[in-house]
Amino acid sequence: MASPHYPEGTVRALLATDLVTDATRAALQARLDAPLYEPQYLDGATYEMLRAVAARLFPQPDRPDNPIELAAAIDERLLNGESDGWRYDILPPDREAYKLGLGGIRESAQAMFGNNFLVLTDEQKDEVLTAVQHAKAPGETWKTLSAVRFFEELLAELTENYYAHPLGQEEIGYVGMADVPGWHHIQLNELEPREPEAEVK
Amino acid sequence: MPDEEVLEEGVLNPLKPEIQDPLLREILEENDLQADPSRDPLEQPAPLPDPDEVVDCVVIGTGAGGAPLLARLAMAGLKVVALEAGPWHDPRKDFATDEKAQSFLFWNDERLSAGQDPISFGRNNSGKGVGGSTLHYTAYTPRAQDDDFHLHRDFSVGVDWPIGYDDLEPYYDELEHFLGISGPANYPWGPTRRRSYPLAPLPLNGAAQLMQRGCEQLGIKTSPAANAALSARYYQEGVGWREACTNRGFCQAGCNNGAKASMDVTFLPLAADHGADIRPNSYVTEIERDASGAITGVVYQQNGITLRQKCRNLFLCAGAIETPRLLLLNELALSSGQVGRNFMGHTGVQVWGTFAEDIRPYKGIPGALISEDTHRPKDADFAGGYLLQSIGVMPVTFASQAARARKLWGQAGRDYMRNYNNIAGINILGDCLPHESNFMELAEEKDGRGVAKPRVHFTAQENEQRMTAHAENIMRRIWEAAGATDIWAFPRYAHIIGTARMGHRGTDAVVDANGRAFDVPNLYISDNSTFPSALSVNPALTIMALSLRTADKFLEKERRRDL
Repeated sequence: MASPHYPEGTVRALLATDLVTDATRAALQARLDAPLYEPQYLDGATYEMLRAVAARLFPQPDRPDNPIELAAAIDERLLNGESDGWRYDILPPDREAYKLGLGGIRESAQAMFGNNFLVLTDEQKDEVLTAVQHAKAPGETWKTLSAVRFFEELLAELTENYYAHPLGQEEIGYVGMADVPGWHHIQLNELEPREPEAEVK
Repeated sequence: MPDEEVLEEGVLNPLKPEIQDPLLREILEENDLQADPSRDPLEQPAPLPDPDEVVDCVVIGTGAGGAPLLARLAMAGLKVVALEAGPWHDPRKDFATDEKAQSFLFWNDERLSAGQDPISFGRNNSGKGVGGSTLHYTAYTPRAQDDDFHLHRDFSVGVDWPIGYDDLEPYYDELEHFLGISGPANYPWGPTRRRSYPLAPLPLNGAAQLMQRGCEQLGIKTSPAANAALSARYYQEGVGWREACTNRGFCQAGCNNGAKASMDVTFLPLAADHGADIRPNSYVTEIERDASGAITGVVYQQNGITLRQKCRNLFLCAGAIETPRLLLLNELALSSGQVGRNFMGHTGVQVWGTFAEDIRPYKGIPGALISEDTHRPKDADFAGGYLLQSIGVMPVTFASQAARARKLWGQAGRDYMRNYNNIAGINILGDCLPHESNFMELAEEKDGRGVAKPRVHFTAQENEQRMTAHAENIMRRIWEAAGATDIWAFPRYAHIIGTARMGHRGTDAVVDANGRAFDVPNLYISDNSTFPSALSVNPALTIMALSLRTADKFLEKERRRDL
């Protein structure tokens, strides 16, 4: 099925209305207005690796000047030692896993293409990441770090950051945040006036 | 990267290093107080509890296991104190309709998930805050059926419960009316009921309509489900009026208008009204005993201060990980060898599909439709059974699961998620058998408090695998019949069960049928850890029923002592 496209600006416009509670607006607006982020936990080079990987897992050619920043929340979480309540026992603690895993991707890039991951073409980067995801990537790192589980955790966290962002939500036509009046039209094909309709491009 | 930044081995969140020297610790604490007088106990607005006061009962945990018995004991005139690790929220003001912002509702202290089918915790399981995991439960409240309690009798596997349906039926009935459960007038499965549900069912959303359509074509009977969310304004004794559900679809990240029967809007205000002292932000570290082994009190940390509360009886209601963790850390009630053992998770495989219809899966009660036709399937090659539920889903949760299971990324990932408004799911909730390879233990790795983290081993065994395959097949057929394309399954285990099971004898169980520990006369356990088998229904209602029953049995015993 072709991917539906939802009109741009829907969520941004809803946030300015009283269809959204103060607590909800505070959470979403902060992500929209997030200032430029300087890494506080990861060192500069590792943070750049994280951003480069994020840019392939969530390519945003439609936002060339201001892509949704996905790495900042990870660096902040690692800095604060926050957890989502669990981790795979076979992985080391998150701080260590991120450093080791990003180093592993760098190592695999060297082994596969004899070059720094950052300067590879998009296709080459994707090849490296695919190899990591399927535990086929070369490198010493992956002998002790589970490539499959590391990649899964990385992808899940980036995905959560992407769809927690108002623009990510807008892209999928989600307006659940505008719930102050409640929802009355909840059956199949029933929409409230504030729910955007998709155009298939 | 400088070497100093590499973590000490085995420590995840070194918020503060542990200081071993008691004198140094004292000096540092005094310095802390001078630097930040608000941390001085004398500056706190609430009076500190009298360290010498002995209360009748301390209850650890304010979720589905702790809150009902807290209210019952307070109403009987006992002096009761509840200790809750998390804060007391004001949902109307504090709760955002935003999954990430609401992550404070989950028990986020890290647990290590081991085995072939590692269990995800956090949003998938335990909660923190006054109300425990009921703050983020889906509010699905089917009753267990009688045969759920007798898997061994019927299939020669697992163990039977020391009690049966008849023991819990009066409590199921009481709870459904106290909480204001919305459900059908005539529920099609299970024993005859003395009364209908007090409120009409909540309206069906898109996913429920689609499941209804698919099941109809396959000859599978469905019904609007029983949910602990109000379909109409409801007056609750001791609490007052609660407003109806607004179809916000956000049950799993916190209800903001009190429509969902979480403990903070039902049993806890009732308990407080009868004098219960509920202390938020109180994390229990130690359980103290006298020479005879009887419990004399607990030590807990509240806002950075270490406090002690003496008690005559202790009710441990911290859930199937923290309860056995406290027992193991305190070397308490361990003689059966069963503490931490028999860990179970409900089989919970989900099947998703994309439809031509507009669904908007964020609207309506997530679990609107149910079928228990698969409770004991005729063609089953496994013991026990399961129920089927339609599911609504919030976007971040869904995207995260799709990323893990479908492994989609790049443009393909973004393209798939653009179908979110046309996606609907069904899942099952099925039995799980206890197995020796599934257990919880203390890891060497410490948490930010310096306490051993729990490690949970879980590997689905043959029975769970067969049940999951059977269910996935049925759900795929339902979705095909309903018109879905791009159907995929997300294997999953939900809820945490077992780890301190009840039984007839102290040789193979931790507590008796009343929740009383065999080893320690004044220790009771009331939560999902006492379940001897998983049951083929969502656990919350049964946890609450056992909680009320434990309170009644305790009060009966106390009265006999008075005579």
